[in-house]
Amino acid sequence: MTARKIFSFGKYLLIAAGVTVLGGLAFLYSGLYPMGADVPHNTLTIWALETLRERSIVRAASDIEVPEDLGSSDHLLKGGADYNDMCAGCHLKPGKMQSDFTLGLYPAPPNLALHGDEHDHDEGQNGQVRRFWIIKHGIKASGMPAWGPGHDDERIWNMVAFLDRLPTLSPEQYQILTARGETNVDDN
Amino acid sequence: MKTKTLSFAIALSTFAFALSAQAHDPKEHMKDAENPDCSAMKNMDHSKMDMDDPVMQAMMKQCMQDMQHDEASESDGHADEEHEADTDGEESAEE
Repeated sequence: MTARKIFSFGKYLLIAAGVTVLGGLAFLYSGLYPMGADVPHNTLTIWALETLRERSIVRAASDIEVPEDLGSSDHLLKGGADYNDMCAGCHLKPGKMQSDFTLGLYPAPPNLALHGDEHDHDEGQNGQVRRFWIIKHGIKASGMPAWGPGHDDERIWNMVAFLDRLPTLSPEQYQILTARGETNVDDN
Repeated sequence: MKTKTLSFAIALSTFAFALSAQAHDPKEHMKDAENPDCSAMKNMDHSKMDMDDPVMQAMMKQCMQDMQHDEASESDGHADEEHEADTDGEESAEE
């Protein structure tokens, strides 16, 4: 009697799983989900994607160690010029609150010239490790490229060092720190 | 035929990899490179600057050459003025 009940329950469970899979596939192939970047995801999709992203980054970045002298002026200078060339178009700079990229990309890239709590991203050592991993590996389907293939770890850490101080900079300080000038090409 | 296709694919991927590696060489950015605008530094009260702050140290490094250049021009300017003043003095004495 008990065995028959278990068998019956298992049968219904299997049918329910089959219906769910078929329903999911039907939805995928129907083309009903809006893929345009100008239509936001629904709450469930946002939760699923953000949880997937954050858990994946935490796991993948768990072995990364932050260099000891990351706060030095040399790291700041080298990272500043690269940030200005490679990142500021999407992640902005002091005195600039939007660009065509921030208006059009979805998800909108965080404004890294603001403090972490203003754009809901982790700071401190966890934040440094997270940023290093994201700069190096990028994030799928977000517009964030992987810079690792063309940039060594030292150069990426320099950008992380600059990002730590970016929210504290005035537009004038930003200009001075990010200018490559003629004298900086060998250093950078 | 297969070997040709394979060689072409390998050559193409090597070329693409080489291009991507060069794409972000800092020298590539030098075409649009700006010089630091150190005029903001000159107007700051130097006694209130925290020289232990890495941001301030980095700014000093960026602007050091510029500021030294300005100081040199200023001292040259003073020297010229003094020279002109001396010359004027001599000329007026001769008169």
